Amino acid sequence: MPKILIPTPLRQFAEKKDAVEVSGATVGEALAALTAAHPDMKKNLFNDEGKLRSFVNVYVNDEDIRFLEKDKTAVTAGDTISIVPSIAGGK
Amino acid sequence: MIKIEQEAWDLMVAHAEKTYPNECCGAMLGMIDGGVKTVRVALPLENAYPGAQRERYELRPEDLLFAQREADKNGMDLIGIFHSHPDCKAYFSKTDLENSCPWYSFVVLSIEKGHFNHANSWLPNLEQTEAAEEELEHPHA
Repeated sequence: MPKILIPTPLRQFAEKKDAVEVSGATVGEALAALTAAHPDMKKNLFNDEGKLRSFVNVYVNDEDIRFLEKDKTAVTAGDTISIVPSIAGGK
Repeated sequence: MIKIEQEAWDLMVAHAEKTYPNECCGAMLGMIDGGVKTVRVALPLENAYPGAQRERYELRPEDLLFAQREADKNGMDLIGIFHSHPDCKAYFSKTDLENSCPWYSFVVLSIEKGHFNHANSWLPNLEQTEAAEEELEHPHA
């Protein structure tokens, strides 16, 4: 099963785990499995329309899914899915 | 509340002053115990904004992934992000807010004419519509 690495601030919603193994053949399915198992995490990742929040990036191994197939990106056992925020700013 | 230890603070200020008149940015690693965050390590990161960096900063996701991995490797948490405002107060601007992440503290350092002036810490909300000021303790205070 693919593994999802949980950023520190979200571990409180995943029984303090730093990684969770989930079922799913795509990134979308894997993230759905994650939030099904840990519902309190959902609002931190998805907006009310069910879309990934604008500050959430997802990587499969070291590749950004925006440059792959987005949530349809295929994942297999042994793949690592990372949740990484998008941060910028300015005065 | 967020407390920044001396070594981390010195690195944050040095990075901000060195990159002046551009905005700097970086990650803060440390420990969270109840409601108190203690920053033990500052990781200066490259400002990847492709335009005028005097008024903007941008962090590469790969660099944040690196910061998260460094935190995990050293038994720490990724607590937040720091960046500087050259010749400007340490408020949390509309641009800061709209490009923030609610999972972290955001420390802003005001650098006036190349020297540290003051700093504030901010906690943006989930909708990126407002940020509460967070109590900040640092060695310069």
